Amino acid sequence: MTLSDGVKAAALLFAAAIAQVSVFSQLQVLGAVPDVLLVSLVGIALLRGSVAGAVGGFFAGLIVDTASLGTMGLTSLVLTVAGYWIGRYGETTGRDRAHAPFLSIAVVTVLYQLGLLVMHFVLGESAPGGAVVRSLVPAILLNLVLTAPLYALVRRLLRPPEREELTAEVQLLG
Amino acid sequence: MLASSVQRSKPTPYPSKARSALIRRTVVAVLVVVALALITISFRSPTSGALHDVQGLGATVLRPFQVAATRIAQPFRDGYDYLSSISSAKSENRRLKHELTELRSEVIANAALAAKAQQLEKLLHFEQGRTFPRDYRAINAGVISFPSGPFTHSIVIDRGSSDGVRTDSPVTSGDGLVGIVSNVDSHTALVTLLTDPDFFVEARDYHTGVRGGLKPGPGGTLQLTEVPKQKVVHNGDVLVTDGTRNARYPDLYPYGIPIGRVTSFSALDTATFLQVQVQPFANLGSLDAVAVLVPKNPRR
Repeated sequence: MTLSDGVKAAALLFAAAIAQVSVFSQLQVLGAVPDVLLVSLVGIALLRGSVAGAVGGFFAGLIVDTASLGTMGLTSLVLTVAGYWIGRYGETTGRDRAHAPFLSIAVVTVLYQLGLLVMHFVLGESAPGGAVVRSLVPAILLNLVLTAPLYALVRRLLRPPEREELTAEVQLLG
Repeated sequence: MLASSVQRSKPTPYPSKARSALIRRTVVAVLVVVALALITISFRSPTSGALHDVQGLGATVLRPFQVAATRIAQPFRDGYDYLSSISSAKSENRRLKHELTELRSEVIANAALAAKAQQLEKLLHFEQGRTFPRDYRAINAGVISFPSGPFTHSIVIDRGSSDGVRTDSPVTSGDGLVGIVSNVDSHTALVTLLTDPDFFVEARDYHTGVRGGLKPGPGGTLQLTEVPKQKVVHNGDVLVTDGTRNARYPDLYPYGIPIGRVTSFSALDTATFLQVQVQPFANLGSLDAVAVLVPKNPRR
């Protein structure tokens, strides 16, 4: 990951985190909130790997926790794990598959919501399990709607890396 | 040449792949540990401490960005709110219309029940009152069929011979005389109303004692006939059933059942009798409950 990519990714995550806290968090549709930060993080992690995903998730989470004056590190922890996991998926089987962003979003939306639920429960804070479970399907749908444009934006900002899996040598026959 | 291999230009290595798994895992582990440490510190001292100060400072720094984001999003949010309010207004309108329909039905049902209750109350009051004939008992009945047109002057009640109802039993409502039982089945009975052209009852002016025969008149009223011109009646006088005057010829109606009120009377020079118009007390168009008066000691 080049410095330029890092700056672009950081700017994107910063903007997404601010937008998430300031705008999208108040946009409730069918009891769920669209998560531009998660979708952006998934795009970055898929294109730039697990370390970029984990680091991006950590700092984006810090911004969210800071701006929302929540428990510091809570969102960071969940987003770090989510970014790392999606990054590993991109590094291994998910790369260049058209359905990878959508599949990642669907899965990570569930894991992210449940992860936050578990963390809040562990910390003894309000953890409305029923409400979270009921909002899972709308949340997945909303994030899937956001995935196409946001992933296209991330892909435009961060060009996909060369395919390393391609063989470095070509054995000529004959 | 063909057997030899051609070296391709080396592509830019995939960054994460290039790093060792150890480094990758170390980075993630460090981040997770730092996050856990932040959670611990933040949880232990949520309102004070260095981390709280740093968070406050960070929030202050982020505030302008948040305000800017909010302002940028405001037009979109307004548009969304507008569309949302239209959508919710439509659904609310549907819900309120549905509620209104239900409430209307409920009001009508309640009004009908209230009217019925009022009639039942009057009936009970009549049955427990002093004017109720002593030698009779009341069989309360519901009206199950009403006059279907101007040529029908009868109702069907849901009590019959199995309940003790007999032919020629007087029928009253809480207001006054309704008619007489003209046909009896085992569980139902036909009541001929006092507006029927063949109906006749001996009546007495409760105030003046003037007697006469009461027959149906025009427009749902009754006419007190055979009242000599020299007798005195007044508008507003109450007419009741006259009852049996001669034990050998017992009347079908016991004495004292209210029938109606004198609304007008006239004495033509050429006529022998007064023409007295009577308005029946019972509202024959909206009967819900009636009482059939049956003698306690039947004569036949």
